[in-house]
Amino acid sequence: MLNQLLKKLIHASSGRSRNAMAIVGLSIALLLILSAVQIQANYQQLLYTKTSQDSIADFLVINKTVTDKNVGAATLSNAEINDLKQQPFIEKIGTLTPSRFKVGIQSISKQIPFYSDFFFESVPDEFLDVNTPAWQWNETSNYIPMIIPNMFLDMYNFGFAQSQHLPQLSQDLITSLPVQINIQTPTGTVNYYGKVVGFSDRISSVLVPQPFMDWANKKFGEAINQQPSRVIIQTKDAASPQLAGYLKAHNLSTNTEKTRFEKYRGIITTVVAISWVMGGLMFLFALIVLTLFIQLAIASAKEEIYLLVTLGASPKQLQRFLRRQFLPANIITVIVTLAIVAALQFTLQKILATQNIYISAYISLYTIIAAFIILLLIGFVNNRAIKKYIHYNN
Amino acid sequence: MQLQLQNIVPTPLKDKLLQRHSDVWNKQLQLNNAEYIKIKAPSGTGKTTLVHILYKLRKDYDGNVLLDDKNLATLNADELALLRQQNISIIFQDLRLFPNLTARENIELNRVLQQPLYESNMTDEMAALLGIMHILHQKASMCSYGEQQRVAIIRALMQPFKWLIMDEPFSHLDKHNINKASALIDAECKKRNAGFLLTDLEDDEHFNYTRLLNL
Repeated sequence: MLNQLLKKLIHASSGRSRNAMAIVGLSIALLLILSAVQIQANYQQLLYTKTSQDSIADFLVINKTVTDKNVGAATLSNAEINDLKQQPFIEKIGTLTPSRFKVGIQSISKQIPFYSDFFFESVPDEFLDVNTPAWQWNETSNYIPMIIPNMFLDMYNFGFAQSQHLPQLSQDLITSLPVQINIQTPTGTVNYYGKVVGFSDRISSVLVPQPFMDWANKKFGEAINQQPSRVIIQTKDAASPQLAGYLKAHNLSTNTEKTRFEKYRGIITTVVAISWVMGGLMFLFALIVLTLFIQLAIASAKEEIYLLVTLGASPKQLQRFLRRQFLPANIITVIVTLAIVAALQFTLQKILATQNIYISAYISLYTIIAAFIILLLIGFVNNRAIKKYIHYNN
Repeated sequence: MQLQLQNIVPTPLKDKLLQRHSDVWNKQLQLNNAEYIKIKAPSGTGKTTLVHILYKLRKDYDGNVLLDDKNLATLNADELALLRQQNISIIFQDLRLFPNLTARENIELNRVLQQPLYESNMTDEMAALLGIMHILHQKASMCSYGEQQRVAIIRALMQPFKWLIMDEPFSHLDKHNINKASALIDAECKKRNAGFLLTDLEDDEHFNYTRLLNL
């Protein structure tokens, strides 16, 4: 009953359009800020989440840049590898072991005849983006499992096969096609069967299991140079400027298209930053407008408030009443804005998925936390304004 | 609740008031619980000023006002609100109703400002007694001054109090209505074991005053 009477006395009807404007301003500001938070969250997700789609960004194969001076000696020393290990942007490092023997590979199928000289490399299993039970080898195994780069298959299918009038091959066909592997040793050629068991987007090399490599290098290898010339690293952020700087300073190079991402990232970062600044400024203005609105509402009911206090209404009672007048609108504004951002995110997810960019369909926890913090901030500013002007009125 | 006035005198009127005799200004007065005090004062002697000092609407005075030994000047806003809700009720000379609220709403507001003392039907009982039932639904600004005065009286009686301060409460009422109003006020004070302090221009016999003071 008291609230109804107070409402009748301190009705904000004179300021209804101002109230609407304050709320619209606040909504736009909130939308900008929450979108900025959400974009940032999406961006982080794209960069750092370990899904197979973005594995390209996480793993880099690094080697010395081959120049006139180091031709024939572009290997990485232990000191260089150790130094790499200690860099903060590197999470894991593994060496690519090259084969120290000559390999030839030939088809055993008459329909698709081919022969080629070849080489193998191996990496520790943890760096592979192919997960198959076929990926194991011991001395009793019937065949040597191999992983080849997807890129090879593409090159063959869309370049080589067409120009040579050869049939195009699917992944399934290749994995069902055994090949003969000829290893040349000082005492003659040794034959094995080999089979492609997977395709990698991460490492552009023909990979065999590490146990096979160790065994074969020992058995057939020529112990000339045991130093690796390529390493694979796992990094939190392949586009980090630190990484790019380090590689450049140490005369190392990597798959450049991965680090080129850095440039796009710079653009995105700028856009997000602008959105932050705009949102922040709008928010500041919205807070000022809200405060002014409260001040105005109180000022226009100044006489009524004075008489209420004269009759015995306590400032606390009035402040509580006024808070209840303003708070629900603020809560609704924040919730509606959050809903809009959620809807936008859902739509964005659908659109991006068609372009093979995978983000969450739901807004991030950070966005919700940000909305909550903003709500607290609005509440705080409102309370301060109410307290200040009710007090001032007395 | 005991009310003590210790040498109070309003600062702006100090020189003028100290030149003439007064039972109140610059005197030590102790007003006891449930006393009926009449303060007679010709125009311009600071009648309304005294009422406003006692109700803490003015602070520009010398001396102290003590309520049960607590200095009125030291109360903060919340303590003052509590005092006005529980211990001191007032009928202003200028009535001070909310013009945009109905007569009933004006009364209701003071009823619900604190934990209500009476049910809302008490408004109807008192309004019937003072003959203003028919204007309860009207906006206060649409009522005659005499009607407004009765609304202000009922509003003051709707809340708990130990002291009722009245500033010329019957100025616009005829004798018949004054008798009804004073009877109601007397009954309400007795119910609460409360006292009152009434200021007026002339002598009267509306109540059995325990003390008559000249301002």
